[in-house]
Amino acid sequence: MRHYETILIVNPTLGEEDYRETLNKFTNMIEKQKGVLVKVEEWGSQKLAYDVKKFEKGFFVLMDYCGMPGLTAEIERDLKLDERVLKYQTVKLADKVDPQELILKEREAKEKAAREEVQGPESTETVQEEEQTDSTEEVSSDG
Amino acid sequence: MADRGRRKVTYHRRKICRFCADSSLIIDYKDPRTLRMFTTERGKIIPRRISGNCAKHQRMLTVAIKRARKIAFLPYTTSKLK
Repeated sequence: MRHYETILIVNPTLGEEDYRETLNKFTNMIEKQKGVLVKVEEWGSQKLAYDVKKFEKGFFVLMDYCGMPGLTAEIERDLKLDERVLKYQTVKLADKVDPQELILKEREAKEKAAREEVQGPESTETVQEEEQTDSTEEVSSDG
Repeated sequence: MADRGRRKVTYHRRKICRFCADSSLIIDYKDPRTLRMFTTERGKIIPRRISGNCAKHQRMLTVAIKRARKIAFLPYTTSKLK
Protein backbone atom coordinates (compact mmCIF):
# COMPACT_ATOMS: atom_id res chain seq x y z
CA MET A 1 0.00 0.00 0.00
CA ARG A 2 1.03 3.54 -0.55
CA HIS A 3 1.23 6.18 2.13
CA TYR A 4 -0.39 9.52 1.36
CA GLU A 5 -1.26 12.68 3.18
CA THR A 6 -3.87 15.20 2.11
CA ILE A 7 -4.34 18.67 3.48
CA LEU A 8 -7.74 20.22 2.98
CA ILE A 9 -8.77 23.79 3.60
CA VAL A 10 -12.42 23.85 4.57
CA ASN A 11 -14.66 26.91 4.34
CA PRO A 12 -14.31 28.78 7.68
CA THR A 13 -17.87 30.12 7.66
CA LEU A 14 -19.36 26.64 8.02
CA GLY A 15 -21.04 25.67 11.26
CA GLU A 16 -19.66 22.92 13.48
CA GLU A 17 -22.12 20.39 12.06
CA ASP A 18 -21.36 21.07 8.43
CA TYR A 19 -17.66 20.98 9.16
CA ARG A 20 -17.92 17.58 10.87
CA GLU A 21 -20.01 16.29 8.01
CA THR A 22 -17.39 17.28 5.43
CA LEU A 23 -14.67 15.60 7.46
CA ASN A 24 -16.68 12.45 7.94
CA LYS A 25 -17.53 12.33 4.26
CA PHE A 26 -13.89 12.09 3.26
CA THR A 27 -12.71 9.88 6.09
CA ASN A 28 -15.53 7.46 5.30
CA MET A 29 -14.64 7.62 1.65
CA ILE A 30 -11.07 6.53 2.33
CA GLU A 31 -12.30 3.52 4.28
CA LYS A 32 -14.89 2.66 1.65
CA GLN A 33 -12.18 2.59 -1.01
CA LYS A 34 -10.23 0.04 1.03
CA GLY A 35 -7.82 2.60 2.37
CA VAL A 36 -6.56 2.73 5.94
CA LEU A 37 -6.79 5.97 7.85
CA VAL A 38 -3.67 6.52 9.97
CA LYS A 39 -4.51 9.86 11.54
CA VAL A 40 -6.56 13.00 11.15
CA GLU A 41 -5.18 16.25 12.50
CA GLU A 42 -7.37 19.30 12.79
CA TRP A 43 -5.38 22.50 12.94
CA GLY A 44 -8.39 24.75 13.31
CA SER A 45 -8.86 28.12 11.70
CA GLN A 46 -5.64 29.52 10.26
CA LYS A 47 -4.76 32.51 8.20
CA LEU A 48 -4.08 31.85 4.54
CA ALA A 49 -0.98 33.29 2.87
CA TYR A 50 -3.19 34.55 0.06
CA ASP A 51 -6.93 34.75 -0.50
CA VAL A 52 -8.58 31.55 -1.68
CA LYS A 53 -12.03 31.99 -3.18
CA LYS A 54 -12.11 35.37 -1.43
CA PHE A 55 -11.53 33.82 1.99
CA GLU A 56 -8.69 35.04 4.17
CA LYS A 57 -8.94 32.20 6.65
CA GLY A 58 -9.66 28.51 6.50
CA PHE A 59 -9.99 25.37 8.59
CA PHE A 60 -6.95 23.19 7.97
CA VAL A 61 -7.29 19.43 8.19
CA LEU A 62 -4.54 16.90 7.62
CA MET A 63 -5.50 13.35 6.66
CA ASP A 64 -2.82 10.71 6.80
CA TYR A 65 -3.78 7.44 5.13
CA CYS A 66 -2.68 4.42 3.16
CA GLY A 67 -4.26 3.01 0.05
CA MET A 68 -3.80 1.40 -3.31
CA PRO A 69 -2.86 3.55 -6.30
CA GLY A 70 -5.99 5.15 -7.70
CA LEU A 71 -7.46 5.93 -4.31
CA THR A 72 -6.26 9.52 -4.39
CA ALA A 73 -7.77 10.08 -7.81
CA GLU A 74 -11.18 9.09 -6.45
CA ILE A 75 -10.86 11.28 -3.40
CA GLU A 76 -9.48 14.28 -5.26
CA ARG A 77 -12.34 14.13 -7.74
CA ASP A 78 -14.80 14.47 -4.87
CA LEU A 79 -12.73 17.15 -3.17
CA LYS A 80 -12.83 19.15 -6.36
CA LEU A 81 -16.61 18.90 -6.59
CA ASP A 82 -17.23 19.71 -2.93
CA GLU A 83 -17.83 23.42 -2.55
CA ARG A 84 -17.12 23.36 1.17
CA VAL A 85 -13.49 22.51 0.47
CA LEU A 86 -11.57 25.57 -0.71
CA LYS A 87 -8.29 23.88 -1.53
CA TYR A 88 -6.57 20.54 -1.13
CA GLN A 89 -3.20 18.96 -1.74
CA THR A 90 -2.13 15.33 -1.68
CA VAL A 91 1.45 14.24 -1.21
CA LYS A 92 2.77 10.71 -1.53
CA LEU A 93 5.00 9.93 1.44
CA ALA A 94 6.09 6.37 0.66
CA ASP A 95 5.50 3.65 -1.90
CA LYS A 96 5.38 0.45 0.10
CA VAL A 97 4.22 0.61 3.68
CA ASP A 98 2.40 -1.55 6.16
CA PRO A 99 -0.57 0.49 7.44
CA GLN A 100 -0.78 -1.45 10.72
CA GLU A 101 2.80 -0.52 11.53
CA LEU A 102 2.07 3.14 10.92
CA ILE A 103 -0.99 3.04 13.14
CA LEU A 104 1.06 1.47 15.92
CA LYS A 105 3.75 4.10 15.54
CA GLU A 106 1.15 6.83 15.62
CA ARG A 107 -0.34 5.41 18.80
CA GLU A 108 3.07 5.28 20.47
CA ALA A 109 3.80 8.86 19.50
CA LYS A 110 0.47 9.93 20.92
CA GLU A 111 1.10 8.17 24.23
CA LYS A 112 4.53 9.73 24.44
CA ALA A 113 3.11 13.19 23.84
CA ALA A 114 0.43 12.61 26.47
CA ARG A 115 3.05 11.48 28.98
CA GLU A 116 5.21 14.51 28.29
CA GLU A 117 2.24 16.77 28.72
CA VAL A 118 1.66 15.37 32.19
CA GLN A 119 5.33 15.62 33.11
CA GLY A 120 5.94 18.93 31.39
CA PRO A 121 4.38 21.38 33.88
CA GLU A 122 5.85 19.47 36.85
CA SER A 123 9.40 19.66 35.56
CA THR A 124 9.16 23.38 34.87
CA GLU A 125 7.92 23.94 38.43
CA THR A 126 10.96 22.26 39.92
CA VAL A 127 13.24 24.41 37.81
CA GLN A 128 11.58 27.54 39.10
CA GLU A 129 11.87 26.36 42.67
CA GLU A 130 15.56 25.71 42.25
CA GLU A 131 16.08 29.24 41.12
CA GLN A 132 14.19 30.68 44.06
CA THR A 133 15.81 28.94 47.02
CA ASP A 134 18.65 26.54 47.76
CA SER A 135 16.66 24.21 49.99
CA THR A 136 14.46 23.03 47.09
CA GLU A 137 17.43 21.33 45.48
CA GLU A 138 16.93 18.36 47.75
CA VAL A 139 13.25 18.12 46.74
CA SER A 140 13.96 18.13 43.04
CA SER A 141 16.68 15.47 43.38
CA ASP A 142 14.18 13.19 45.10
CA GLY A 143 11.65 13.64 42.35
CA MET B 1 44.74 44.18 -12.00
CA ALA B 2 46.46 41.32 -10.24
CA ASP B 3 45.94 43.07 -6.92
CA ARG B 4 42.21 43.37 -7.44
CA GLY B 5 41.90 39.72 -8.31
CA ARG B 6 43.71 38.67 -5.15
CA ARG B 7 41.57 40.88 -2.95
CA LYS B 8 38.40 39.24 -4.24
CA VAL B 9 39.71 35.84 -3.23
CA THR B 10 40.69 36.91 0.29
CA TYR B 11 37.22 38.32 1.01
CA HIS B 12 35.58 35.02 0.14
CA ARG B 13 33.82 33.53 3.17
CA ARG B 14 32.70 29.95 3.27
CA LYS B 15 29.01 29.47 4.15
CA ILE B 16 27.66 26.40 5.84
CA CYS B 17 24.50 24.54 5.00
CA ARG B 18 22.24 25.02 8.01
CA PHE B 19 20.44 21.74 7.48
CA CYS B 20 23.72 19.81 7.42
CA ALA B 21 25.02 21.58 10.53
CA ASP B 22 21.82 21.21 12.56
CA SER B 23 20.13 17.84 12.20
CA SER B 24 17.18 18.96 14.31
CA LEU B 25 16.19 21.38 11.56
CA ILE B 26 13.90 19.40 9.30
CA ILE B 27 12.60 20.45 5.91
CA ASP B 28 8.83 19.99 5.92
CA TYR B 29 6.31 21.79 3.76
CA LYS B 30 3.90 21.89 6.72
CA ASP B 31 6.34 24.02 8.73
CA PRO B 32 6.16 27.47 7.15
CA ARG B 33 8.16 29.06 9.96
CA THR B 34 11.37 27.31 8.94
CA LEU B 35 10.68 27.81 5.27
CA ARG B 36 10.18 31.54 5.79
CA MET B 37 13.85 31.83 6.75
CA PHE B 38 14.76 30.81 3.22
CA THR B 39 12.47 33.15 1.33
CA THR B 40 12.80 36.87 0.77
CA GLU B 41 10.28 39.38 2.09
CA ARG B 42 8.67 39.20 -1.30
CA GLY B 43 8.30 35.46 -1.02
CA LYS B 44 11.03 34.47 -3.45
CA ILE B 45 13.24 31.48 -2.71
CA ILE B 46 16.70 32.66 -1.60
CA PRO B 47 19.35 31.25 -3.96
CA ARG B 48 21.94 28.79 -2.79
CA ARG B 49 24.82 31.15 -3.41
CA ILE B 50 23.40 33.48 -0.76
CA SER B 51 21.89 31.10 1.78
CA GLY B 52 24.86 28.72 1.58
CA ASN B 53 22.72 25.57 1.53
CA CYS B 54 24.15 22.41 0.01
CA ALA B 55 22.68 21.19 -3.26
CA LYS B 56 20.79 18.31 -1.68
CA HIS B 57 19.07 20.42 0.93
CA GLN B 58 18.37 23.28 -1.45
CA ARG B 59 16.58 20.83 -3.73
CA MET B 60 14.48 19.54 -0.85
CA LEU B 61 13.81 23.09 0.26
CA THR B 62 12.54 24.31 -3.10
CA VAL B 63 10.11 21.41 -3.31
CA ALA B 64 8.90 22.11 0.22
CA ILE B 65 8.44 25.83 -0.44
CA LYS B 66 6.53 25.17 -3.63
CA ARG B 67 4.24 22.72 -1.85
CA ALA B 68 3.71 25.18 0.98
CA ARG B 69 2.81 27.87 -1.53
CA LYS B 70 0.26 25.65 -3.18
CA ILE B 71 -1.62 25.00 0.04
CA ALA B 72 -1.47 28.69 1.13
CA PHE B 73 1.07 28.32 3.93
CA LEU B 74 3.45 30.63 2.09
CA PRO B 75 2.66 33.43 -0.34
CA TYR B 76 3.57 33.29 -4.01
CA THR B 77 4.11 37.03 -3.80
CA THR B 78 3.28 39.71 -1.26
CA SER B 79 2.02 42.56 -3.39
CA LYS B 80 -1.64 42.97 -2.52
CA LEU B 81 -3.75 44.57 -5.19
CA LYS B 82 -7.14 45.64 -3.97
